[in-house]
Amino acid sequence: MIEKKIGIINRCLPHGSAQGRESLDLTLAMSAFNESLSLFFIGDGVYQLLDGHDPTECLQKHFQPLFKMLELYDVENIYVCQQSLLQRAITEDQLMIEVTSVDTQTLKTNLALQDQLLSF
Amino acid sequence: MNKRLKFAVVVSGAPYGAQGASSAYQFCCATLQAGHNIVGVFFYQEGVLNASQLVSPASDEINLPDFWAKLALQYQFPLEVCVSASLRRGIVNELEAKQLALSQFNLKAPFVLSGLGQLAELSAKADRLVQFL
Repeated sequence: MIEKKIGIINRCLPHGSAQGRESLDLTLAMSAFNESLSLFFIGDGVYQLLDGHDPTECLQKHFQPLFKMLELYDVENIYVCQQSLLQRAITEDQLMIEVTSVDTQTLKTNLALQDQLLSF
Repeated sequence: MNKRLKFAVVVSGAPYGAQGASSAYQFCCATLQAGHNIVGVFFYQEGVLNASQLVSPASDEINLPDFWAKLALQYQFPLEVCVSASLRRGIVNELEAKQLALSQFNLKAPFVLSGLGQLAELSAKADRLVQFL
């Protein structure tokens, strides 16, 4: 059986809700079973990758270091919406992991390639 | 009749306070009535609260955990609940309660606590994966 392509969409701020953390938990767990994962960071989701969080002041778990595990777990398709970065005045070198930044058209194409999508 | 499809459903929303879980239930009913299969429902994030046997709405309101339990027993599909998301939200089965020295447990039958690996398995088994927020 051909492995299904699974896309995981991240659109939320890193803290204020557990969306980002639970999405990353799911991604790392799924990566043990499926090697065709792609991550998408869109809208406010791009803030999850902005380097230098310190959420302990607001009693939230500092889960950002776990993004480094993606490389170790061979999750390499990490797409970030170029326009979302631009709108938030974030440059790619401010992000804590290596990503592929893509324009909206490429984003749509890549999303359409997925067999299954999970949204956070 | 069209081809029978295998559906896996992911529920990310709470049983009360948001509509997602109710829509997921209705989707499952419609899917089964149309002759398709549900290979399993996976409860994640706020969705794990659907597995609480303590949910006690007023008598003229629906009790979604009861609805899930009845549907799953009737059609024989598993209700898998993410264990780490559950423990953080106070959904505990008898075994976990014992191990954590808690005086109570509240996981409703036939919901079972399982890991995210189960979601990967459901995803691999299913023709369609549908998530409800």
